[in-house]
Amino acid sequence: MTAAPVSDLRIETYMNRLESALRGVSPEYRNDILREIRAHITDSAEHGVDYAGAVDRVLRLLGTPEDLAARYSTECQLERASRSFSPWLILSTCWQWAKLGIKGTLAFFVAVIGYGLALAGTASVFLKPFSPRLGFWSGPEGFGIIVPDHPTVMHEWLGNYFIPVIAAAVFMFAIGTTQLLRRMMRKRTPGLSIPSQIQNLVCL
Amino acid sequence: MYMASNSNGDRGQNWEVQLRKGCLEMAILANLWQSRLYGLEILRALSGKSQLEVAEGTLYPILSRLKAEGLLDSEWVEAEAGHPRKYYWLTPSGRRRAREMAEAWNEFSERLTVLVQPIVGTPRAGGKER
Repeated sequence: MTAAPVSDLRIETYMNRLESALRGVSPEYRNDILREIRAHITDSAEHGVDYAGAVDRVLRLLGTPEDLAARYSTECQLERASRSFSPWLILSTCWQWAKLGIKGTLAFFVAVIGYGLALAGTASVFLKPFSPRLGFWSGPEGFGIIVPDHPTVMHEWLGNYFIPVIAAAVFMFAIGTTQLLRRMMRKRTPGLSIPSQIQNLVCL
Repeated sequence: MYMASNSNGDRGQNWEVQLRKGCLEMAILANLWQSRLYGLEILRALSGKSQLEVAEGTLYPILSRLKAEGLLDSEWVEAEAGHPRKYYWLTPSGRRRAREMAEAWNEFSERLTVLVQPIVGTPRAGGKER
């Protein structure tokens, strides 16, 4: 075997980009990833007859450095978020996940719509004391939680029960969205709802 | 990042990709059942033994997650190649998990084999098909 030049401009460029894409990761974990990926590139390229072609091939199969970094953090985060009840962690994880495919995009829309409606409901509960006309109306001006311009032509549904009913609905909606997303995350790879005892520092 | 190794038209292929993807983790754990392997070896074992063509960009993050879940452990070992390699092996809970998956897989595949028997199985005897 000819001693192939292990350092190659393309490899160095790739590794530099990967390093900056992994900036959010703990230094220890980041170095471990970089070392492993470099070892992989070296191993894959060295044994090939056509060194330049082999480097091209392995870099292509690794995907762009940014995609690869996203995969690392998403794999870790999905695992963590699927056990979490924090809307913020779930939402940001879905955003990462959305970059990787249709299923993630769908989850992200569910998260945005679900938590968005819950947030709007919460806001209306807090605004009600300051704007008594705010309510759950239906009629020519529309349907839903609105402040109508002409209340006489509209019908108000909840009356004094507005605050407790909407608060309860918001609560149910937020819980429902969270559960749905947790299930989507766990369903991502069949047969993987493993009880994990170690959730160590490697995840961001 | 997955590539089905043979093509049977678009829809069939997509289904097959999903199936392979679902089996990937079990295949990784199964490959580590008997020996410690490093990433490239796992990749080769996957495409050789089980015909699961996995891109390296998919494999390494999964290995990292399996480690974070406590199913795998790893260690850097100096190799004659002149640079160290990261070897993976199953932890006790990884072995337990691999066994569970293998048992579930066996049961499932046995039932499905019976189910598809009329389609692909025994050569048509007695010309019942006409």
